[in-house]
Amino acid sequence: MQITVNGQTQDLSIKDNTLLIDVIRDQLQLTGTHSGCDTTQCGCCTVLMDKVAVKSCTVLARQAEGTSIQTIEGLAKDHLHPVQEAFSEEHGLQCGYCTPGMIMSTVYLLQTHPNPTDEQIKEGLAGNICRCTGYVNIIKAVKSAAKKMQETQV
Amino acid sequence: MNPFQYHIADRATNAKEIFSQHENAKFLSGGMTLLPSMKHGLIQPDHLIDLSRISDLQGIKDNPEYLSIGATTKHQEVAASEIVQRSIPGLAYLASQIGDPQVRARGTIGGSLANNDPAADYPAGALALNARMVTDRREIAAENFFTGFYSTALEEGEVITQIQFAKPLKSAYAKCKQSASGYALAGVFIAVFPNQEIRVAVTGVGAGVFRWAEAEQAFLNGQFKPNLQRDDLISDLHAPSEYRVNMAQVLFKKAAQQIQNN
Amino acid sequence: MNAPQELLRKEDLRLITGHGKFTADWSYDGMCFGYVIRSPYAHGLIKSINYQEVLSAPGVIRVITAEDVAAAGMKSLPTGATMQNLDGQNQILAPMPVLAVGYVRFVGQPIAMVIADTYENAKHAAELVQMDIDVLDAVTDYDSARAAGAPQLHAQASGNLSIHYIRGDQAATEKAFENATFVSSMGVKSQRLIGSPMELRAVLAKYDTSTDSYIMHSPNQGMLGMLGALEHVTGIPKAQIDLQTQDVGGSFGVRSGAFSESALVMLGSKLIGKPVKWTGTRSEIFLSDWHGRGLELNGFIALDSNGKILGLRFENKADLGAYTCYFGSFIGARNLSITMNGVYDIPALSMSSELYFTNTVPVSAYRGAGRPDIAYAIERLIDHAAYDHGFDPIELRRKNFIQPNQFPYDNKIGSVYDCGEFDLLLNRALEMSDYNNFEKRRQESLKNNKLRGIGLAYFLEASGAGTAPKDQVIGQFTQEGVLRIFAVTGASGQGHATSFSQIVHEKIGLANDHIEFVAGQSDKMMIGSGTGGSRTLYGTGSAVMNLCEQILEKSKPLTAQVLNAPESQLEFTNGVWQHRETNQTLSISQLIQKTFVQGQPHLLNLTGEASSGATYPNGCHIAEVEIDPDTGVTEIIQYTAVDDVGVAISPTLVQGQIHGGVVQGIGQAFYEQAIYDASGQLLTGSFMDYAMPKVGCLMNIQTEKIQVPTKNNILGSKGVGESGCSGSLPTLSNAVINALRPRGITEMDMPFTPAKIWQALQEH
Repeated sequence: MQITVNGQTQDLSIKDNTLLIDVIRDQLQLTGTHSGCDTTQCGCCTVLMDKVAVKSCTVLARQAEGTSIQTIEGLAKDHLHPVQEAFSEEHGLQCGYCTPGMIMSTVYLLQTHPNPTDEQIKEGLAGNICRCTGYVNIIKAVKSAAKKMQETQV
Repeated sequence: MNPFQYHIADRATNAKEIFSQHENAKFLSGGMTLLPSMKHGLIQPDHLIDLSRISDLQGIKDNPEYLSIGATTKHQEVAASEIVQRSIPGLAYLASQIGDPQVRARGTIGGSLANNDPAADYPAGALALNARMVTDRREIAAENFFTGFYSTALEEGEVITQIQFAKPLKSAYAKCKQSASGYALAGVFIAVFPNQEIRVAVTGVGAGVFRWAEAEQAFLNGQFKPNLQRDDLISDLHAPSEYRVNMAQVLFKKAAQQIQNN
Repeated sequence: MNAPQELLRKEDLRLITGHGKFTADWSYDGMCFGYVIRSPYAHGLIKSINYQEVLSAPGVIRVITAEDVAAAGMKSLPTGATMQNLDGQNQILAPMPVLAVGYVRFVGQPIAMVIADTYENAKHAAELVQMDIDVLDAVTDYDSARAAGAPQLHAQASGNLSIHYIRGDQAATEKAFENATFVSSMGVKSQRLIGSPMELRAVLAKYDTSTDSYIMHSPNQGMLGMLGALEHVTGIPKAQIDLQTQDVGGSFGVRSGAFSESALVMLGSKLIGKPVKWTGTRSEIFLSDWHGRGLELNGFIALDSNGKILGLRFENKADLGAYTCYFGSFIGARNLSITMNGVYDIPALSMSSELYFTNTVPVSAYRGAGRPDIAYAIERLIDHAAYDHGFDPIELRRKNFIQPNQFPYDNKIGSVYDCGEFDLLLNRALEMSDYNNFEKRRQESLKNNKLRGIGLAYFLEASGAGTAPKDQVIGQFTQEGVLRIFAVTGASGQGHATSFSQIVHEKIGLANDHIEFVAGQSDKMMIGSGTGGSRTLYGTGSAVMNLCEQILEKSKPLTAQVLNAPESQLEFTNGVWQHRETNQTLSISQLIQKTFVQGQPHLLNLTGEASSGATYPNGCHIAEVEIDPDTGVTEIIQYTAVDDVGVAISPTLVQGQIHGGVVQGIGQAFYEQAIYDASGQLLTGSFMDYAMPKVGCLMNIQTEKIQVPTKNNILGSKGVGESGCSGSLPTLSNAVINALRPRGITEMDMPFTPAKIWQALQEH
């Protein structure tokens, strides 16, 4: 089957019961996307599929056929994405395990809510669990990223 | 997950054919309930038939008398739809409260209704609005559709193609989330129709979604603490039934006040 | 010199771009996969296990059984320090075998490991095992474990009691209670929790026949500790295990020992001659990572007529789970005693703790390891006593604070507190939280039918002295003048590399990109403690500081040579060596570059070391909450944390630790509980039922640091990693009880779920 990942179209031969996360991690060796639970809750596996945040542990590779996937490795171009910068500057990560998923969810949130309120941030990241940071600096990072992105639009 | 064969259906009739040709087949829509069950080995189909590429099952259409929502329409789409927000705001809000953003990007209304989880949100909306489930072979009114704990009136291989919602005068949904799963510990949907027809449906509280007659009466009388007594009230490690009943009353009041304020 | 700039975290770049390397991210060619067959019963007698169908399933290479484990001469998992009573009576131990022998004693206990070519094949094959196990009755908490006629888990432990641990001065305490004007008592439970760091535990072993050695990848909290545990269990010398760990996704105490799976993949890899990887699913991890807490603390306090505390007594119970593993005993016994007086000057202390075996997952360390629990118990007790006898809760505390001139303070039950300014921090917290105007806000909330409460706690933590006699770090310079520092600690998000770089940068002027911190390289011989008990910053950090001091000292004569100047003309200022007259400068990096000789270790490659005693971080936290009586939902309106962590090397990282600890406390206070049914099945078996705190659970937190430097290490720093938990549990609980007190509710156990609060309000 064909799937585009981080801009590169891949021709893969997979079994029907392969999950998207397995394609990403095992076949393509993009290990930045993580597995953190088995009940589709923690969000560590979040990637963008046709620009929409999805949990790759609960998408079959076949369901993603023909789509364009962006993982954390594909976010930075010649420089870091403003969301990545903001997470580091605001100390919005500690162990880093939930971080790729958290960042991808934030990218998606800011697409539809470029200037999110506290409520919108809470709803936007409701599908991502962090055990280290207490979320306080993550919220700061989201707001900082929003600001950065608005400034570059002008 | 157990090995299985994956099929893509391009038309509803084609979906039926593939189903009848294969043993132990299941339909796949968003996969937000089916795939986790398969990962845990609770369901082990040999064939999955993906309905998500069937164009007839997609889209939200506005008709004078009713809204029709394609069965594979994602929660996210229903929540964001200007049509739904305008005609049935309670339904748009309900969709926005399911799961989380990533789940709403994939989960579908048809999948949710066909599964009939006793703590899912859509059954409350469908029952309160007396939605019509249009399948590949007939139409089933909501009041006949939900038959019990995780069970519906759907026959083997029957596919919901669209869900038709009559447009109420007013609608509202209020939900109390179970703090771990995000499912409804209690959810109450109120729909107001012409001729003083009030329909109140409750999810999360009993063995399946139900109409709440006392609440419908209370709404007409302008009261807000209707009685709730049933044999199948849920008590579990998250909350005893007394709390669920209390929340149903609180949510009823909240939704009722929302309707009155509009 | 300008105030030093705080360095950004050097760990971040790889983590935010997806280039971190967690254990499951490693792979080797020809790698095979392990899947553990686990006990489905909480208690049972193993009659026979038939692996025939497992072995003939597709892709299966081998099944590692208890027989294999015995043939390899493996020992049971380490039991941790044996607790002992003052009369010399030793704790009864029940070590956990790598694989169950004779009996299974908790649901999830490993019975065998299937190794196959793919994970799916191993898992599928495991389901084909045929187990003949006689199911026995189970006990799932200390009350049922100690009941008459309860099933006994271990032949050696009658009544399922491991030890009835006693400390303190019983006689003096009894006397104190006899003489008391006021006495109060309060029993609290610190419920069983599941630590749940986000990284799912995994382990990977690659055996090399030619060298009879292993490469291991595993999360850990310090290389030496993990190697020591692996050596203990497998008998394989540390020198033959190359433990390579780059990133660890949270630990919180759960990663500090070797698990069965670690030993099994090593054995598996040797037996089949291929690398073996094991990864746990979250539901499996719930049944195999050690659980946390599981304590009951019953406190009794005696006051004189003025409110001076005359004596304090605790009678505690601890749930060890099915076996004595690692720190469980230490927590339930020693850690509940050594800081039992909190921040108060109490002349008579006594405690006893009964540690029980139950048919549940063994309990070990989870953030705070008993210290949040004792802080919780004493701070709730003091509030309770205040209300019981008409004292103001703030003034009652103040009256009994250990005064600054009483330090170092020996509490005579295991701790010598270094220093503190409790009044100072208390006043600052009261000020920041606008405590004095609370009543007004309470009345406002009441008008909106909301119950508002304010809770205060002054907690004190014992940050560990560590298990090793000293801490060492090894410094090695590269030709480019980059300093590589090797240590034995194990970071899992704390930012060690960044904090130590901060020390080096400030002391010897190296630029951030000229400092590398390498933990977890086992070929370096070093002494040191792992990461645990909130001590790495000052333990290893002091060794880093010592290393820098030595580098400075020894770099002076070398610089004199290079600059061709007398040493007396040189001074180290603004991060460089400077000639007083000529103003020539030479940085350490430049010095290295100029004096580096290929193939020879540089003169400035040194070992830094330090012996650091325990320190006592402390703080005053205040929480203001609002409860909706209709729904029982609690909103945290404002959280104030004023902490004394001594000298804060990296203030942002310190604050991050406070945030994280406080939110884990919120988790315990409002959401989390590991619940077993009577037959020993874990009902909260996944995140569907075990509620984790999510974004937005805490929106308004203000933190401040007041530094009271300790003399117990050369940095002057105290730990911080666990303080957030020790502070938040009593603070939040006191706030909730304060909100509910007007309705007649004075006692309630965590978690304060909406249903529980609502129910209590119905009954009052």
